[in-house]
Formats: sequence, structure tokens, C-alpha cells
Amino acid sequence: MQLDPAPRPPSVLSRLRTAACVLLAVGVPAIAGADETSPRYQLDASTLLYREAGRVTVVEPVARITRLFDGGGSLGAEFTLDVMTGASPTGGRPAGGIQTITTPSGNTQTVSAGDVPMNPFRDERGAVDVDWVQPIGARAGAATGAHFSLETDYQSIGVSEKLSLETMQRLLTLTVGGAYNRDDVFPVGGTPVGLTSNGERTGVDRNAKEVTSLMAGVSRVLSRRWLVGINASRSNERGYLTEPYKVVSVVDPATQEPLIHLTELRPSTRQRTDLLASSVYHLSRDILYLSYRYYWDDWGLRSHTVDLKYRFELGTTFLQPHVRAYSQTAADFYTLSLVNGAPLPAYASSDQRLAHFNSLTGGLTYGFRLPGHAGEFTMRAEYIGQFDHLNVNPEVGDGEEEEEGGTPVTHAFSPLSIGTLTISYSRSF
Amino acid sequence: MKIWTAAVGVSVVLACCGCAAHAVQPWDRDLLAKQQMRFVPLRMEYAVDQHIYFSKEGSIGGHDVAGGGCGCN
Repeated sequence: MQLDPAPRPPSVLSRLRTAACVLLAVGVPAIAGADETSPRYQLDASTLLYREAGRVTVVEPVARITRLFDGGGSLGAEFTLDVMTGASPTGGRPAGGIQTITTPSGNTQTVSAGDVPMNPFRDERGAVDVDWVQPIGARAGAATGAHFSLETDYQSIGVSEKLSLETMQRLLTLTVGGAYNRDDVFPVGGTPVGLTSNGERTGVDRNAKEVTSLMAGVSRVLSRRWLVGINASRSNERGYLTEPYKVVSVVDPATQEPLIHLTELRPSTRQRTDLLASSVYHLSRDILYLSYRYYWDDWGLRSHTVDLKYRFELGTTFLQPHVRAYSQTAADFYTLSLVNGAPLPAYASSDQRLAHFNSLTGGLTYGFRLPGHAGEFTMRAEYIGQFDHLNVNPEVGDGEEEEEGGTPVTHAFSPLSIGTLTISYSRSF
Repeated sequence: MKIWTAAVGVSVVLACCGCAAHAVQPWDRDLLAKQQMRFVPLRMEYAVDQHIYFSKEGSIGGHDVAGGGCGCN
């Protein structure tokens, strides 16, 4: 994330080009060993237009080229560019009067009475992903991946491996996998000391964050029309997990007015686990997709996700409505604010992503082919809305509280309201 | 721990259910062979979704092992 008006960084794209060459070089032996008599490629491209009311606008073009080999192997490379502009809530609370806050890049900003403090930003993110799929005998396969992404204040490098084995006359597929990511966070203006307000810095410019993930899954063909599966995954994060630009307000216990804003602080480890159950069912012509995910972590956050898609097959075109319901509880250390005069907690964050909230996604995808053209186009429009901002749960730690006399005070932030448009194109040749 | 036990139990049930039933023969796999019969039939849209939800929610997890991170704010 780049905070206006900090100076532009060295070219992200030039560094990404170098990374792309390195990652692509990994696949050279596979290409050399391929059957050159049957070259076959798949091209995928998409562009995401993302608009979040009052906050962020994102344009994300993605291009992917896959070399398909005889026998089922493939080598793919994917290039992503994110262009992000807008503003993100700092986590600070609105005040009854005008607030003057200092942005992480050292600039002062005036916030009107009643407005949520926001960090304006502009950034680009580039990513390169390479994956190599290799069959092992007739019933097993391996998928190896590598990832590199870079933005102004964040870099991510990762590798992954997934092995699958078909058994029971190919009715049952067992999958195991693992991934390792080594990320670096280098905040604009330096790394703030957690739970301080005087601009104190740790003196460390690059903060490491390691993520190790393991997954296991089983999928089962139940009939000619029905495929079901269960995936479990666990990831361990270690290192700098704090959001360096987020703050927590310290409020006057009597007036609830924010007095100062402290930089947030999170634990340096996080263990995250999820279970995902999925089903794909082919009706006489249409297809029904249904999945449920349960997630929990040692920060106290739990979530339920139900995802439903129905694909209407319409000859050479298809129409696919989508509904997704999501509900999460707050992290243990999430709080709307701290009280002036009370002892500081070990960790505190007012990041909306760690708050209790429920959201609904509704969308529609239309897929079609142009006459005389081999490729397939898909267009998708979706809306994500937060629908619980008027509910009140007075439990401590849920990020909501109750005023004296029972009048509810809801989230300090405006509810999420996100519209997206995704246009994709896919073609084999 | 109970959840893990339940997951293992469901996996075993999945592996065993239909054991006595006839296998889906190769000539019966016309529907299963379709690309749209995968758990993730539209790969590009799936990747976009994962990125959006990762940047707005406190949860992760899906059909793949965790991918690359970002400093999404």
C-alpha cells in the first residue's frame, strides 16, 4: 500500500519481469521433454473491476498461458496486476469535532466531525505464478507451484506441492499438499511500535512473515452424476502479522470521544484451520454446486461460509446465479476502542476484518461463444453486502457495545458494499 | 479435536459408501469428464474471489493450499 503523497517506489514491474524469468526457467526441462508433435496451449485472461462504496477501487487484469502436454501434464504461468486507489478505514473512531490525524507517511489530515478516519492510498501489485502438473503413472499426479508478488510495502514468495492418488476404480481421490510462503512487510514511514501514539518506530524496515500450510482432501464419485469432497487445511503464520497502518482509538470514558489513536498490535503467531465440504451434482442438463466451510483460528475468530451456484446450460451458452453467505465472529483482541486510564491490553486491533460481521454475495455469470470463434467468454457481475450492521450484540469483544439506557451503538464503520464486474476469456489452441 | 474426529469419520464414510454399489464405468463417465463437473470449473473467477474475500474477511481456506499473500488493506 502506498500512502499519498509518498514518493513513487522503484519500478515494481521491472522487478516482476526479473522474477517472471526466474520462475519460468523452472519449467524449461519440462518443455524440453515434451512431445513436440502435439503442441497445445490454453490461454486464459480476465479483468476484474472492483468498486467498494466510499473506499477502494481496483482494476485487476490477469493473463495465464498453459502448455498442455500429452499424458495430462501441463506447465502454466499466470501474470496479475492490481491497480488500487481509494481509502481504507484506519480503525480510529469518529469524533464529535474535527480530528487532525497523522498518516503513516507523516502527513497530517483533517477529519470532519462524525467521519470515520481514513487512510488514502494508491498502489500497484504485480504477481507471477507458475505451476507444473505432472502425472505419476496412471492414477497419481503432482502439482508444483511457485509464487512471487510485489507491492510498495509487501513482498511474497512461495512454493507449493500437491499430490493426488485415485483409488477404488477411480471413485476415490486422495489429495495431500503443502505450501510455504516467506513474506516481507516494509511499511511506508517505518515500522511503528505497537500500541503507541507518538510515531515511535521499531527501527526494523523489513519485517518477516512466514506461512506454512498443509492440506488433505478426499473426493468421491457417488454416482454418474454426483461428486463430493472434503478438504481440511491448516496454516501456521509466524512473524509480523500486525497491520502497520491500522490504529485503535483511546476514548474518554465519560464522553466516548477519541482522545488519541494508538497503532494496533497483534500476536506474532496465528494458527488457522478450515474444513470444506463440497458437492457437484449434474441434473438432467444443469449443474448444482454447493459447499460449506467452517473456519477457526487461535485468535478466536470463527466463520461459516455457504456457497451455492446453479449453472443453467443453454446450449452454447450458460447462465450461473451465485449466492454466498458468510458469518464470522470477532477476534479475541478486537475492540472498537480502548478506555483512557485503563491498563493497555497485550494486543488490540480495530481492523474491520477482525470484527464480528455477516455478509451476503449475490451474482450472475453469463458464458457464451461468438459464432465462428473457438474461445469462450464469461461475464460476471456480483454484489457483496454486509447485512448485520444494524444488529446489536452487546458482548464484549464483539466490537459492539450498548450505550447507557440501552440505545445501541453499532459498528464504527459503514457496512461493506462492494460491486464487481469480471470479464474472462478462455481458449485452447 | 471433535471436529477433526468428525472430519476423519466423514472421510471414512465417503470412502466406504457405495462400496457395494457398481463402480461408475468408463463409459458412464461422460458427465463427470466435463470441465464444469470440477469443484472449481471457472478457475479465473475462483482466483478473483479468493483474493477479494481474503482482503475483506478474517478467514482463509478453500480447494487449494494457501497461495501467495498480499498486504491488502
